[in-house]
Amino acid sequence: MNDYSLNELIACVLAREVRDGDSLQCGANAVVQRSGFLLGHLDHGPNCRVLIGRTFANLWDVPVLQLYDMNVDWRAARWGEYVIPHDESFSWSSRRQISAFAIGALQTDKRGNTNMLGFGDDPKRLKVRGPGGVGTTPVSARLDRYYIMLRRHDRRALVDQCDFVSGIGFGDGPGAREKLGLPGGGPKLCITPLCVFDFDEATKLMRIKSLHPGVTLQQVLDNTGFAPVVPKDIPTTPAPTERELHILRTRIDPKGVLRKVEAVEA
Amino acid sequence: MERTSRLIDEKAAAALVQDGMTVYIGGFTLSSHPMAIVREILKRRVKNLTIVGAATASMEVDLMIGAGAVRKVITSYVGIEGHASVGPCFRAGAESGELEVWELDESMYYTALRAGSLEVPFLPDYTALGTDILRFNPDLKRFDCPITGKPLIAVPAVSPDIAFIHGAAADVYGNVRFNGSGFGDRTGARASTKIVAQVDKIISNEDIRMSPHLTSMPNVAHVVRTPFGAHPFASPGSYLQDNPLIGEYVQAAQHYQKTRERARLDDFLRRWVYEPDSHLDYLERVGLKRLLSLNEF
Repeated sequence: MNDYSLNELIACVLAREVRDGDSLQCGANAVVQRSGFLLGHLDHGPNCRVLIGRTFANLWDVPVLQLYDMNVDWRAARWGEYVIPHDESFSWSSRRQISAFAIGALQTDKRGNTNMLGFGDDPKRLKVRGPGGVGTTPVSARLDRYYIMLRRHDRRALVDQCDFVSGIGFGDGPGAREKLGLPGGGPKLCITPLCVFDFDEATKLMRIKSLHPGVTLQQVLDNTGFAPVVPKDIPTTPAPTERELHILRTRIDPKGVLRKVEAVEA
Repeated sequence: MERTSRLIDEKAAAALVQDGMTVYIGGFTLSSHPMAIVREILKRRVKNLTIVGAATASMEVDLMIGAGAVRKVITSYVGIEGHASVGPCFRAGAESGELEVWELDESMYYTALRAGSLEVPFLPDYTALGTDILRFNPDLKRFDCPITGKPLIAVPAVSPDIAFIHGAAADVYGNVRFNGSGFGDRTGARASTKIVAQVDKIISNEDIRMSPHLTSMPNVAHVVRTPFGAHPFASPGSYLQDNPLIGEYVQAAQHYQKTRERARLDDFLRRWVYEPDSHLDYLERVGLKRLLSLNEF
């Protein structure tokens, strides 16, 4: 049996979502997401491209990367095939530019609507000011496919209704996105420290897709502030394979950042 | 008659800022902020500024808020990557209501600046449909497209009075080169009435003419020579960020955010902003060994 960390498991879940040829991006402060996309690329995606150091790059044949702290670290630009200024990212359709994106959230509700604005009742007097919608808002509106990554799985993070919504998931139900004329496909998965959720096709409600090794259904239900759809048989999230761990530990994360107790995220 | 040099010093650049102006501060996360000029602006104790930060602004905007210079902030994010996901002084100001936050997501941020640079009153976008961002910022107006009938958002133009950006090099006629992407600075600068660039080094006009395709911004109004001018932030290809100094700021600012006691924040401001008389005095205080240890690669 492999010995692996939760961060490594979550990175593998995301990596398995990667299709060859995907154009992959994630935001700042996103070490686990970035590791996951890089793993997918290096494991089975020779034609992928990733956004790294404000360049588009293909890293298939790069022997060892490093999880640069900075979103814009110039040292990470050395494999770039194209320099993409930040403003240029928003001057052509992100739906054409990006196949898949991983976003974080302070809260998500049962239909994958996310909150990064903060907590409270009054926008002018927030109890806690959050980072803001930032890139999660256009990603949620536009992209064919994106993933919600939660750092916590508890009743404050998974709620029946977010304090505020900054990223539209499936709105108030089937047809909501279409009514707003939004082009994107909505969230595909929500990945937490306890489990993986997908979305029921008919109702657009969050549905448990797999439980991480050692996690019980009751644990998930106790820590979720809404009633997710519970399938009859729930598989266990497959553990990282030897190959995945090898790529992760030798080429992507040689310093073992993912194996520290908390990943490097503020 | 002679072609005129646009070279000025950082104090003269800062003197262009008056109380109440709308000011674009360039750079992105932990890179390329025009800090030599920002420090001079703060030393002048200007007030009531509307600061247009980068789409992903950082300690430079947080510091200006902490120093009491800012009434309103226009950006999609203020946070210090690797240290604090929400800027402490930004957070304190937003929660108390003292700081006006003109809420935008990343897409509408550029839409607003693009409207400014095109000199149209607004441009349409749609990313915040179905979210509470419209509630946070009532200046964003939902309307139905006159052509297709689809719901859209009118994003009002943002047109800064002045833009300060940091570049790798420039000639004395204001032709600026970025190393690398230049982040969102072209859009921020083009929306602004006046553009001032601080650069790590000055190069000859002949150098610019030999490779005009490397010019990132042409003929800006003023150029300031500021070696290590982005410190404590990185300048791509020249120096990396000074994490301990950024950490020092975050500690002081977070203490203020949690307790509302200003002593540590004021100490930081005194030491790293108000006391050094000029940019070179600031660098001398940082120290040669420390600066030269910020390897470019």
